[in-house]
Amino acid sequence: MSGAGARRFLFGAGALWATAVLDGAPASADDLGQRLFEPSRACHALDPASPPMAGPNLFGLIERGVAGDPNFDYSPVLRAARASGLVWNRRLLDQFLRDPEAMFPGMWMTSRPMPDTAERRALADFLADPKSR
Amino acid sequence: MDRRRFCLTASAAAGAFAAPALLRGAARASEGAFRVRYFPVAAGMRSRDVTAAPDGAIWFCGQQNGMMGRLDPRDGSYKLVSLGSGAAPHGVVLGPDNALWITEGGQNAIARLDLKDHTVRLFKLPASQGYANLNTGVFDKRGIYWFTGQTGIYGRLDPKTGDMAVFEAPRGRGPYGITCTPAGDVWYASLAGNFIGKIDLATGRTMIVEPPTKNQGARRVWSDSKGRLWVSEWNSGNVSMHDPANGSWRTWKLPGERPRCYSVYVDEKDIVWLTDFAANAIVRFDPATEKFTSFPSNMPNANVRQMDGRPGEAWGGESGTNRLVVVETLPPA
Repeated sequence: MSGAGARRFLFGAGALWATAVLDGAPASADDLGQRLFEPSRACHALDPASPPMAGPNLFGLIERGVAGDPNFDYSPVLRAARASGLVWNRRLLDQFLRDPEAMFPGMWMTSRPMPDTAERRALADFLADPKSR
Repeated sequence: MDRRRFCLTASAAAGAFAAPALLRGAARASEGAFRVRYFPVAAGMRSRDVTAAPDGAIWFCGQQNGMMGRLDPRDGSYKLVSLGSGAAPHGVVLGPDNALWITEGGQNAIARLDLKDHTVRLFKLPASQGYANLNTGVFDKRGIYWFTGQTGIYGRLDPKTGDMAVFEAPRGRGPYGITCTPAGDVWYASLAGNFIGKIDLATGRTMIVEPPTKNQGARRVWSDSKGRLWVSEWNSGNVSMHDPANGSWRTWKLPGERPRCYSVYVDEKDIVWLTDFAANAIVRFDPATEKFTSFPSNMPNANVRQMDGRPGEAWGGESGTNRLVVVETLPPA
């Protein structure tokens, strides 16, 4: 998806709610995913060598178990998801981004629904790319 | 310092809107007795930051539904006021003009809510600044409103003229809680930057002060009556105190295995009120005795992200249960 004015999405951190305000310049899907992720960087790292932050490290998120950063102590609802064996994949990530609170009510991270399918796809592409930092 | 004193766990099991006769779990400690009450508000609104109004009401932010709420604690009734399409209010304070001033992240603006007619006026951040993820605001003694944005900015707004200035924070992302001392100094905490900083009110520059615990995650900061700064440390689970008068620090770990200290508020008696997500509790800390008193919520996932209050009452918003909560300190029997 390209361009467009004020957009809101979320994917956030230990307590990050994020809204992306994008300028009117066209953006490739790759660029869009990266830009959508920018506010989340206040709490999340994608570099496995990064020091601990307020939220878990998201390196290797896809195919990782939910609540899968061993250095982060997750909220009870996410620990329960981990205990159930839930694993992140593209479908689950899309469902999560669509309405995080609905999937994991009471998690510590604050987040708002991300209704735009293209934005969810772009953000998931960015997160799923092991080269993303 | 890393002392763990856990003197009392008060069962916080009071019913919402409960008359005193229905209240349960009032706890009595050497400091006095406490009573906890809960007030349900609109489902799904994610009630969070709160502030007390002069008329006795408690106002709160609905980050999920874009509303501000006004609770009447006398009967538990509440009203909602919209901040506009796309709103997502995060923080609220009462201004010297007796209006509410709100960090309105959804519209990338500071919002003023008039308490008389409930009209809303927006002060948008400069477009060149982009999305700020606005967080918390405070007034200095001159009546200038200072605010933080977690994407790495802080700023000031003159309510009389509407003039706004935005500054890039040192170390980039992270500016979160903000406070004003009795002397008029403005400090903020940087969650991702792991520092607290004093703003030069003339130049807007930040003087960084490093807490003693590395990578502590300084989230919120609140001044006591002596100008000492109390800091809630999310990553470390500590509460720390910095005295700018002599540069000293003291640090205490909250009770429990792995506490997560989210918010801090200091009341009129310099009692420190904290929230611990790991314990799902409001935690009272008495600096004189260095004792913690915990008030676990009676529902899971309370997630109280900020507290404020008035004499004898410490208020918070349970963002995870869509309720407000108050811990009342009752006079000694």
